Amino acid sequence: MLDWQRMDTPAISTENLTRRFGDFVAVDGIDLRVTPGQFFGFLGPNGAGKSTTIKMLTGLLAPSAGRIQILGLDLDTNPIEVKRNIGVVPEGMALFGRLTGPEYLNFAGRMYGLDRDTAAKRATELLEFMQLDREPKKLITDYSHGMQKKLALAAAVIHGPKILFLDEPFEGVDAIASGTLKAMLQRMIARGATIFLTSHVLEIVERLCSHLAIIHQGKLVAQGSLEELRSGVQARAGADQAGGAKEKLALEEIFLRIVGGSRMDDQELSWLT
Amino acid sequence: MADLTPATSSLLTPKTRDQLGAIANIRWSIFKNSLRTMRGRMELVSWIFIAIWFAILGVGGSLSLALGTWFVISHGRTEWLAALFWPIFAYWIFFPVVAAAFTETFDSANLLRYPLRYRTFFLVNLIYGSLDVSTVVGTMWLFGALAGAAVAAPVYAPWSLLVILTFGAANLLLIRAIFAWIDRWLAQRRTREIMGILFFVTMISFQMVGPMMARFGGHRVQLPVYLTQAVTVQKFLPAGLAAEAMGRALGGEWLLAFGALLLLAAYASLFLFILNARMRAQYAGENLGEAAPREQKPAAGTVPLSGWSLPGISGPVAAMVEKETRYLLRSGQTLFTLFMPAVILVIFRVSTNPARPHGGGFGPALAFPFGVGYMLLLLSNLLYNNFANDSAGIQFYFLAPVRMQDVLLAKNIVHGGVLVLEVALIWIATRILYQPPDRALIAVTIAALLCAAPLDFSVGNILSIYSPKKHDFGKIGRQRASGTTVLVSMGVLIVIAGVVAATILLSHFLGGLWVATAMFVGLSAVSFIVYRILLGRANQFALRRREELIAEIAKAG
Repeated sequence: MLDWQRMDTPAISTENLTRRFGDFVAVDGIDLRVTPGQFFGFLGPNGAGKSTTIKMLTGLLAPSAGRIQILGLDLDTNPIEVKRNIGVVPEGMALFGRLTGPEYLNFAGRMYGLDRDTAAKRATELLEFMQLDREPKKLITDYSHGMQKKLALAAAVIHGPKILFLDEPFEGVDAIASGTLKAMLQRMIARGATIFLTSHVLEIVERLCSHLAIIHQGKLVAQGSLEELRSGVQARAGADQAGGAKEKLALEEIFLRIVGGSRMDDQELSWLT
Repeated sequence: MADLTPATSSLLTPKTRDQLGAIANIRWSIFKNSLRTMRGRMELVSWIFIAIWFAILGVGGSLSLALGTWFVISHGRTEWLAALFWPIFAYWIFFPVVAAAFTETFDSANLLRYPLRYRTFFLVNLIYGSLDVSTVVGTMWLFGALAGAAVAAPVYAPWSLLVILTFGAANLLLIRAIFAWIDRWLAQRRTREIMGILFFVTMISFQMVGPMMARFGGHRVQLPVYLTQAVTVQKFLPAGLAAEAMGRALGGEWLLAFGALLLLAAYASLFLFILNARMRAQYAGENLGEAAPREQKPAAGTVPLSGWSLPGISGPVAAMVEKETRYLLRSGQTLFTLFMPAVILVIFRVSTNPARPHGGGFGPALAFPFGVGYMLLLLSNLLYNNFANDSAGIQFYFLAPVRMQDVLLAKNIVHGGVLVLEVALIWIATRILYQPPDRALIAVTIAALLCAAPLDFSVGNILSIYSPKKHDFGKIGRQRASGTTVLVSMGVLIVIAGVVAATILLSHFLGGLWVATAMFVGLSAVSFIVYRILLGRANQFALRRREELIAEIAKAG
């Protein structure tokens, strides 16, 4: 039995994960733990180290130090076995612009080890589900941004991965395409997959994710369920203002309090109309 | 776009000047910031060398033109002025198009978000878009000619200045209009492909010039008739009109001089009109990107697509072979390059003077090995930069459960297929155009190819990982490989040519071509072992270089 088949094996775990670019430490010794079946949101301000982390977790970037385990397998020593079990929509979407949508999905399926018939059948189903089946001869380079995102997601799930990594999947996507993407992700979660997502759209993260981690200046500053994060922030606020009424904080407020952001007050930029 | 600036009659309002200054400032900052990286500093060093070369060209040309104009005018041979102005025109217009790598492109579309008036937008385009070497050198040459004219005939200096300024304006507007329209055509895939093919056809046509001259050089062509016609026609074109305007004035024929200047100004106005049409479209918010057309009617039903199956080849490798083949078939430029060896044989055949059938570069017997050698040279473009066309897809190879050796093996299978196809084409071309190649010659050529190809594939795979260069379909003239790749590929081709020559020479003493064939077969086994060893390490190399590889190939723009 593989490690990942045991319930106590985390889907994703990192130990002291570090990445330096020259003297700059982009990711500073983070210890992540994502259990199977979680919809995990990975948040942080711009430049906090989210994309660097997701690139290391998916094999696009080598860590400077630390260890990554995916489904109990060490990424460094078992890269092929790990990649067989994960799907990724990276920042650049990894699309081949001079293929058509059906050709790309078929290609992706076979690269992930599916036989010809299965790859073709799944490609057809995914194209229908994503509403990308209307122009089968159109090259990907001619797709709109939203269509490309949908296609990238379809390619990432064609082999039925146990973990899905998504780097800003809703960026530049309209409401209709966004709805299709969310429907697919929720279906995957309902069937036991694990999803690791980075996004700046906190409303979407709040609605979709059960667990969160927040990275700030390369360090992991919070990790847990949304409720745990809310309680932690409120407990800290409670200690500061003993006896204050306990409100149910939105994720945006939790995020701002954790990373130390502030809202604009009336005195600032008073010249703005 | 909202035009928030109040309209004024002056060309450069204080606000316009501020905006032009701000743009100059930002370009200076971009330049300074580029020096933070080693690559930026290397670029600066190479530009200094290039600038020295162009400075010599500018100053040298300027002095020559000053001297030439002075001589022509002071000796009363003003009919020769056109011969001085045409090279200026030709250089100014053709050099930037042919050598686009030396031409700084300025994308003014980014400025549209700011409240620029159309006039400012146009001026920005004209001023910053004109800071390229051809305009600078062309302007220097024009002022050289002006100086010569002023010294030879000081009284006519104001008139000469007027003519030179009008001629310069016409050139400047024409080259900006050409660039604006080329950008327009390159922005979309279909027109880009057509442009690419036209470019290659032009290049081939240039290659035909030499052979055709060799073939028909001996014939008495009625050159004076053509020259007389050309001289008459050129008088109505910009460079000819500038010469006419100046020459006629010096001869006291002011009416004709004014007429020529007016016609020259009309040309400038026409070029302005053409450029203006393009700029207006850009200002109105035209999107030159790969915009998705409106959705068409739903297809009658998606055809289930089954991938290729190749005997003895694993699924992922077969999928890669399919993808590579589709890419190859969809790249008009690459495909065209593949037919070049056969085209070259046609050119050489056409160029062979019937009077001297064996007087060309090689005899008919050597057409087949020559074609194969030329093919190997051309294929190095494809082999030595394997990932050039993958763009963002390069990430997929590191995300999917495949090893880089499988990816490269698939690419090499396609390259091998191309090689076989080309050899067949060359054989057919040789049979039709020359004579059926000798069996011993075919055998030795194929054996030499079997020896050279694995070595070439190996070096190509390593260079593709260590010295990648993105191929940008949208920028003609900027598809150069990296400097390292160019140098190494030349070295490899020299080594291969050396080995082939040495083997043939040795076989000559040992008993003929069949000995050479046997030696090449033996060497090809060694070459294949080297290929297998290096391919086996490709994953290791690629993982070590993945960040640089992804950064270069997947970069935007």
